[in-house]
Formats: sequence, C-alpha cells, structure tokens
Amino acid sequence: MINIQLITTSLLFSGITLLIYQGFAWLQNKSGKIWLNPMLLSIFFLIALCILFHIDVQSYEQSTLLLSNLLEPAVVALGYPLYQHLNTMKSQWKHMTLLLAAGAVLVISSSYIFTMIIIELPSIAVSLSLKSITTPVGIALTEQLNGNTAITAFAIILAGLFGAIFGIKWLTLINVTSPKVQGLAIGAASHALGTATVSQLSYQHAAYSSFALIISATITAIISPSLITQIQLLLF
Amino acid sequence: MNNALYTVVYISICLIVGYLFNHLIGGLPPSLYGMVLFTLLLHFRLCDALRVKASITWGIKHMGVCFVPAGVGIINHYQLIKTHGIMLVAITFISTFLILTFVGLLFQSIENKSNSID
Repeated sequence: MINIQLITTSLLFSGITLLIYQGFAWLQNKSGKIWLNPMLLSIFFLIALCILFHIDVQSYEQSTLLLSNLLEPAVVALGYPLYQHLNTMKSQWKHMTLLLAAGAVLVISSSYIFTMIIIELPSIAVSLSLKSITTPVGIALTEQLNGNTAITAFAIILAGLFGAIFGIKWLTLINVTSPKVQGLAIGAASHALGTATVSQLSYQHAAYSSFALIISATITAIISPSLITQIQLLLF
Repeated sequence: MNNALYTVVYISICLIVGYLFNHLIGGLPPSLYGMVLFTLLLHFRLCDALRVKASITWGIKHMGVCFVPAGVGIINHYQLIKTHGIMLVAITFISTFLILTFVGLLFQSIENKSNSID
C-alpha cells in the first residue's frame, strides 16, 4: 500500500523548499549581491519556519530526501566543467595534488591538535579533523577511527557553509584572485557545498573546485588513519 | 533523443557504474566515481558534450538547493552545540580558513610565477 500522506508531505516540503530557494536566488540575481546566498538564506528561513510552525526537523529532512538525493547526479554533472578544463589542468596536476596533500595534512593535524588542547576528547578531535571532505568519505573514516559521526556530519556542513559564504571574499582580500586558485582552495576547504557555490561564478571555478573535491577526499582517506594515530602517539 | 533526456541517461549510467565501483572496491563515494567517469566519457567523445551542455549548465546552476535539507538538519545537533560550546564552531571556522589561505596563497604564487614565465 502506498502511503498517500507520506507522498503529499514529501511533495509539499520539497515544493516549499524549491520555492523559497528560487525566491532567494531571484533576489540575489536582482540585487547582484553575492552575500545574499540563496542556500544559506533558505536554510535560515526554513529553520525559522520549522520552529514557528512546530515542524519536527527530522521529519522535514525525511520529507525532502527527494532533493537531497538529487545531490548525487548533480555531483556527477560536475564532470562537465572538469572535462572542459582537463587540458589546461594537465600541466599543473602534480603541483595541485602536492598542494592538496599538504593542505590535507595541515587541516587534519591543526584541527586535531586544537581540539585536543581545547576540548580534550579524541573522538571529537577525529571528527573535526575530517570535516573538509565530502560527507560519505568523512563519515566512513570517522567510524573507522572511532570518532563521533554526528559531530563529523555537523562540522562538514559548517566547513562547507563557511567556505561557501566567506571563501571568495576572503581569498580576494588576500589577493588570491585567479578563478583557478579560488576554485582549488574552496574545493579543498569546503568540499561539494563550496564547489556548488563557486560553480555559479564560472566553469573554471567549477573545474578546479571539483578536482580539489576528488583529490582531497582520496588523499584524506589514504593518510588520515596513520596521521591521526601518529599525532595521538607523539603528542597526547 | 531529446537533449535533456540524453543528459539524464548519461548521468544515470555514470552514477550506476559509480555505485558498482563503490560496491566492489569501496574508497570514494559513488557520485565521485561517477564524476570521474563522466569526465572520461566526454573526454574520449563517448558522450556528446554539445548535447549535454544546456542541461548541465541548468543543473549546476540549481544544485545549491540539494544542500538545503542537510543545512536545516544542523538544528538537530542543537544539544551537541550546547554541550561542547561554541568551541566546535570556532575550531571548524579557524581550520577552514587556514586551509583556504594555505592552498590559495601557495597556488596563487605558483600561478603568478608561471604567468610571468609565459
């Protein structure tokens, strides 16, 4: 028996989410202000709606699985900008991979050490050191290294939002202006969420960010187990 | 075949093969294997780039909406934030800016060097 009520709520919540997002996207287009990020504004607006109308956030998330599931084909689609810039990337891929590896070591060790000094819980330290990569890989590694998956999920979204909202502004401020470099840096720090945001700017941003997304996830998966164990043994 | 349908078929094939890869060898999530495969299909002209262009552009332009439900879900962790205080947010914030700055500055200087040689 198909649950009619479930389908209706699912369509209703997904429809409302789409409408709100489109509304904010229209507002951003109209005003030309990059900080009027439709994703962030929709999140705040929907949280407010959920609280105001006493809607359980978990049931909202359940009902909008339709939208969350579209993320997978959307990530596959990023292969298009990647293909377009493949030739220009060929000459630089070694530099970029090396840089992303160094970046991964930096973000894993700094997050782990900061957390151990401030919060002093290894499970949280593991979670926070795995937050710069895409959710499925981050969660899998957290389980493997005895971290706290709820905190990893939370921190991954947070890292994504920070990069998506402030990334371009900050990079421009420190004179990092090339679309290639901005794309790579945001992909390395803010995974698919940051990539989705910078992909609106240009396909060059999209290509370099997608490259960083894949390489950072791969490198982190390879190095994080031994790196975290080493830091733990040496320092704590 | 209609171009939008053509795109959906190719993306679906890549994603399904991505799932297969993920199931067989693990490692990356299905969508990332799918992305690499899609890049390769386009590169080796096994998929017509001109036909997928319009639909892909539309898809990428709107993909931000897919993150909204997960973003709203952050509020589920309210208790977590309350227990561990604002420090969780602060550490995430600082280390995210650290890697942004590190990768950004170094790659920009490599870029500047190679541009001046050209």
